Amino acid sequence: MGKIKVATGWLESCAGCHMSFLDIDERIVEFFKHVELTSSPITDLKHPPIEGVDVGILTGGIGNEDQIHEAKEMRERSKILIALGDCAVTGGICTMRNFFPLEEVLRRGYIETESTVDGEIPAHEDLAVLTDQVSGIDEVVPVDIYLPGCPPTADAIWFVLTELLEGRMPKLEGKVLKYGMDGG
Amino acid sequence: MSEIHLNINGQDVVAQSGQTVLEAAKSASIEIPVLCHHPALTNWGACRMCVVEVEGMRTVQTACTLPVSEGMKVTTHTEKTTSLRKFVLELLFSERNHYCMYCQMSGDCELQDQAYAHGLDHWTYPRPYEKLSVDASRKYFIMDHNRCILCSRCVRACSEVAANHTLNLRNRGAKTMIVADLDVPFGESSCVECGSCLQVCPTGALVDAKSAYGGREKDVTHTITTCMQCSIGCELDVVTRYSRLLRVDGVWGADPNGGLLCVDGRFKPLYEERKRITAPMLRKDGNLVEASWDEALALVAEKLQGGECQGLAACATTNEALAAFAQLIAKVGGKAGRLEPVAPTLGYGTPAKVTDVLDADFIIVAGAQPLDYQRVVGYFIHRAADKKVPVAVISDSENALSPRAAMTVASAQAGVVAQAAAAAAKVVLVYSVGLKPEVIAALKPLGDKVHFLALDPARNGKGAEAAGLKPQAPSKVDVGYFLLGEQLLDETLQPKAGFKVVQAAYFSPLAEQADVVLPTPIWSERSGHITNLDGTVKPLNVVLPAPAGVRDEVEVLAQLAALLA
Repeated sequence: MGKIKVATGWLESCAGCHMSFLDIDERIVEFFKHVELTSSPITDLKHPPIEGVDVGILTGGIGNEDQIHEAKEMRERSKILIALGDCAVTGGICTMRNFFPLEEVLRRGYIETESTVDGEIPAHEDLAVLTDQVSGIDEVVPVDIYLPGCPPTADAIWFVLTELLEGRMPKLEGKVLKYGMDGG
Repeated sequence: MSEIHLNINGQDVVAQSGQTVLEAAKSASIEIPVLCHHPALTNWGACRMCVVEVEGMRTVQTACTLPVSEGMKVTTHTEKTTSLRKFVLELLFSERNHYCMYCQMSGDCELQDQAYAHGLDHWTYPRPYEKLSVDASRKYFIMDHNRCILCSRCVRACSEVAANHTLNLRNRGAKTMIVADLDVPFGESSCVECGSCLQVCPTGALVDAKSAYGGREKDVTHTITTCMQCSIGCELDVVTRYSRLLRVDGVWGADPNGGLLCVDGRFKPLYEERKRITAPMLRKDGNLVEASWDEALALVAEKLQGGECQGLAACATTNEALAAFAQLIAKVGGKAGRLEPVAPTLGYGTPAKVTDVLDADFIIVAGAQPLDYQRVVGYFIHRAADKKVPVAVISDSENALSPRAAMTVASAQAGVVAQAAAAAAKVVLVYSVGLKPEVIAALKPLGDKVHFLALDPARNGKGAEAAGLKPQAPSKVDVGYFLLGEQLLDETLQPKAGFKVVQAAYFSPLAEQADVVLPTPIWSERSGHITNLDGTVKPLNVVLPAPAGVRDEVEVLAQLAALLA
């Protein structure tokens, strides 16, 4: 049997979920005995291969048009899609901007912050257009497995991956089901 | 009360009539999930987490409000109830801001616990992201409406535990909000900051300003001790992490306060701003300078034996220290007394306990202002008034209890109160130092049905009484020894002694003019006992160690006694 193909991506997020993935430490050696990581934000290839992967993992919420595109691409190319981390599951901390109009958020962020001098709101055709609200991934594409946490612990990530390697759909409960930074 | 036989999950359970299905299940160690239920409060059935299936009933029932009945067959965990509970949780999480990653309650939150228990790994419903206010207008705790699940525990705690009725709900459905009074900021409301609502809040909606983010339940230490802020002697659960005092909670069901605390016991001691005395000090060339304990105690012992001496205690320390103090002063032939006045004796009636207020048929408050000085007794009186128990205030000045009293009369009209109370079976008379002789005489016809609660103005007045310390004014003696603890003194107090020893926790005008200053521990650093208003000897347990250089009074007084010999 060949290796299982896995691709990861990060959308509106802080990268902490990928850091937590790397916290599986030496288990990564065992992991790569069974898995081929086709693409990820922390390797050379950024997009999942067109022929598809077995498992797609998305971290981060949906906050702009490009992220909608990336989420759709990952969904189309993955048999199983995992929303990993609170932002991917619910929008997470990025949804704090949902309580304010978009213009107010941009003005506050780029012009009014105390450390900003002569700020301006970036505008360029290459920049992705922000969505009005940040959401979890499942408001854009269907998600198969939800793994909340800010970030999910390495043990929780390891649990989900190994369950999948064993051919089971992971059922989150006990120590592997935590929201936020509740590592207890 | 009669026995009721029912069956829960196939298990035969014997309950008492009047119990709820939830209570019956609990007694049989069958756990039913709850959120709005709290054991210290009445049940409202607001959250629907405790739904159970009952044979013969068309719909699911809330176990917290369903009374047990003979032959009832209950199933607590079915596919239907589990799916309904998950549905409730998803609705709660979707409604407001329940993002755990930046909430101070994460790890200790009952909503989060239930979501974990029900395997909720995401929420199906879209979220409205309605921007709700955060009310930080109160000093000690904050209301974040975004975290609120409208369980109404705070509303019930405010009306049932504190009997203050500040909190309520406005609007209906998704627009429901917790409000203070007629929707004013909490800091401008009738809130008395007893913190009962804070203690029962299951989520991060009510936030303690001092302990938020300070440590989760698994990180903290709980120490049970006794409040020393007034004479009631309420039981405290003091929460610490390492050397940091985080929070004070009430202990549900504990004597005498039943879990209710007040602002003086729960919050104020954590915000103490007076400057602490941490080393003995002697007056040298007109200035107070730090000295060693040996030098300071030797000087005090020498002075105590060298002239006429008066020892005056603010009754703000332990029974042990007050007794040792009285003995030491007696040993040098001095006069020992207390600084605070005492409430007069009646000559009739029987002593009451604090909880007698709650089952009185008639309450008389005379010469006392419990809502200002012994607040928990004041709240207990409000609780009785809520149950339509007549409260009569006898006062020649304004009294905060008057608005909810059946009558307020001047001392000269005390006879009217005696007449009104004549038919009552159990009359509780709450009084203090302001009780006038004419009132004692006017209430005498009530005789032995009077259960009196004499509110001592001092923190440990009963301990002082046991030590034989009676009120004394400072007199013109050679040596005056003032044992103050952490008591803030009346600024008009004029010490007349030639040589003044002040043993206190904080600097004060009196300490500034002392010849010798000795440090003492504060409430959270004490071990020993106090005698509370009920006459029960309650333990004080060390919550945090005293600063280096501070010695307990008992130790210091014993060292002085040894030096005398």
